[in-house]
Amino acid sequence: MNFADLIQIVWDNLKAHRMRAVLTTLGIAIGIAGVIAVVAIGQGGEAVIMSELESMGSSRYFEVGPNYMKGETADSKTFSLQDHVLIKELSPAVEKLAPVTMGPMVDVRLPNSKKKPLMSSLYGTTPDLIAGLNLSMESGRFLTDADVTAHARVAVIDAGLAEEYFPNEDPLGKKLFVQDNPVTVVGVLQKAPSSIMSAFQVRSVYAPITFAQEMLNTRVINSLCGVAVSEDALPQATSDCIKILEKRHPGGSYMGTTMDEQLDMVGNVTSVLTLIIGAVAGIALLVGGVGVMNIMLVAVSERTREIGLLKALGARRRDILLQFLGEAVALCLLGGMVGMLLGIGGAFAVALAAHWPPLISFWTVLLALGFSVVVGVFFGLYPASRAASLSPADALRHL
Amino acid sequence: MIKVKGMTRVFGVGDAAVEALRGVTINIPEGDFVAIMGPSGSGKSTFLSILGCLERPSSGEYYLDGRDVNSLEDDELADLRNQRLGFVFQSFNLLPRHDILRNVEMPLVYAGVPRGERRERAEKMLTQVGLGQRLKHKPAELSGGEQQRVAIARALANNPLVVFADEPTGNLDTKSSNEIMEIFQKLHQDDRTIVLVTHEPEVAHYAKRILYFRDGEIVREEVNDELR
Repeated sequence: MNFADLIQIVWDNLKAHRMRAVLTTLGIAIGIAGVIAVVAIGQGGEAVIMSELESMGSSRYFEVGPNYMKGETADSKTFSLQDHVLIKELSPAVEKLAPVTMGPMVDVRLPNSKKKPLMSSLYGTTPDLIAGLNLSMESGRFLTDADVTAHARVAVIDAGLAEEYFPNEDPLGKKLFVQDNPVTVVGVLQKAPSSIMSAFQVRSVYAPITFAQEMLNTRVINSLCGVAVSEDALPQATSDCIKILEKRHPGGSYMGTTMDEQLDMVGNVTSVLTLIIGAVAGIALLVGGVGVMNIMLVAVSERTREIGLLKALGARRRDILLQFLGEAVALCLLGGMVGMLLGIGGAFAVALAAHWPPLISFWTVLLALGFSVVVGVFFGLYPASRAASLSPADALRHL
Repeated sequence: MIKVKGMTRVFGVGDAAVEALRGVTINIPEGDFVAIMGPSGSGKSTFLSILGCLERPSSGEYYLDGRDVNSLEDDELADLRNQRLGFVFQSFNLLPRHDILRNVEMPLVYAGVPRGERRERAEKMLTQVGLGQRLKHKPAELSGGEQQRVAIARALANNPLVVFADEPTGNLDTKSSNEIMEIFQKLHQDDRTIVLVTHEPEVAHYAKRILYFRDGEIVREEVNDELR
């Protein structure tokens, strides 16, 4: 029996039980669709979060804060306003470094306006922070050393705030009230690239750290944010920071985080999620496979006489085995193809709704189709070998 | 052609064992037309099934066309059935999903005959049994007699040495029975070896020899002189 004959026999047999074939196929289709959609959505989501994180800061960006893993929190003794200057002088790996004081959310409003104030984050910092933000100025300037020394009542606002309060005018030189303190806008940050996270993005105000600490009535610096001279220098930069800080503040414990670590963390979380949901889809596929096995066992017992006849006509063991295995694989492959279309459709729909790129790799699809064939062979083998090993006389006597 | 010596066939084991054949010995030369008769349970169908290599005897010798059948592997038996033997059954055993042309092609499919030649040979066989105009019909669209003619065409497709028929007229009316038996008679005149099981004396009388089975043994043999 050659391959074309095998295909024709398989096809004729499936056609004879259309409804049954369709329903059996459905189980596999759902499993495959699930696997493809989950993997594609997972990969798309991960790519989005990755690019988001990358756009939030330079790849050379790092942060040093109190070691929260050891239960440390920042207080007024954790950092001093001279730390960043000293570290920059001592460590060749650190290119830029800025202390950041971050209070609770603050009210920002226009003078003489009845409009509800907007809640914003207030960052007290020094000029170096702009290097870590990965954003350039839309207009005006960022904070200067002079602003910091002078406790200048100035602020840099993000593009969101500028749009909200100064839609049709130049915000530079205009007054805003931050926690009822009048400040002058000296710069507007460029708009961050739009993405799914934009919706959650909090509006931000950047002020000289000296002035911000007055507004928030605190001496606490929460962390040091910096940029290393190169990506390779990142570990050196963070460990230098920690060493120097530990010397200057005995008893303090510090830890550094780099963009790489954060990316890794996100990658880990999404791949674990993908794995879990993928496993659920895999179970659906398994159930579909059991359905195929079930229907093939039914087919074998229904067609016992026919198997006997085919053997009488000269079908070898292998011919019968291939015929029934072929039917199981064909069911799974058909299911796989339908599932592939459904899965790709689902991934596109989710991507469209969530505004992220649909990431369907050729390999995912190939893997899913290959997997459906494996399912077919695995679950088809037992019924097929049962059919193949029937004795022709017994099979012919079967009613 | 067929040499059988001391053939037994036991179903089941121990106390439940049933002896379907208890030492059958017979020679069937080439071109013979043998009818096997006997009451049900006499072992005649089991005997035919073993002759047709559909099952194996429990003991005894069986030579077919000079080959020791007992020593052959399952796949070799399959090839033997495919190349040398043809079967006709009481219930026709056609594949209902396929048209009759495809049904007749089936043995040729397993023999690996190329598509074109296969079709040609199947068409020729069906034309010979008078169904050349109905190649594309499904078995269910045919009468019982016509279906059995398709089955005969299928049995002959590979030009077998022996045709085995198990109650070929058991499901047919008298007129169709006669038509079928005339086909067998013609095959016999063309020197084809035929072994046929039946319980109808009229059918058996088409044969050259009649073997009577009882309790798993051949109890009587009759030679039919006046060939109809």
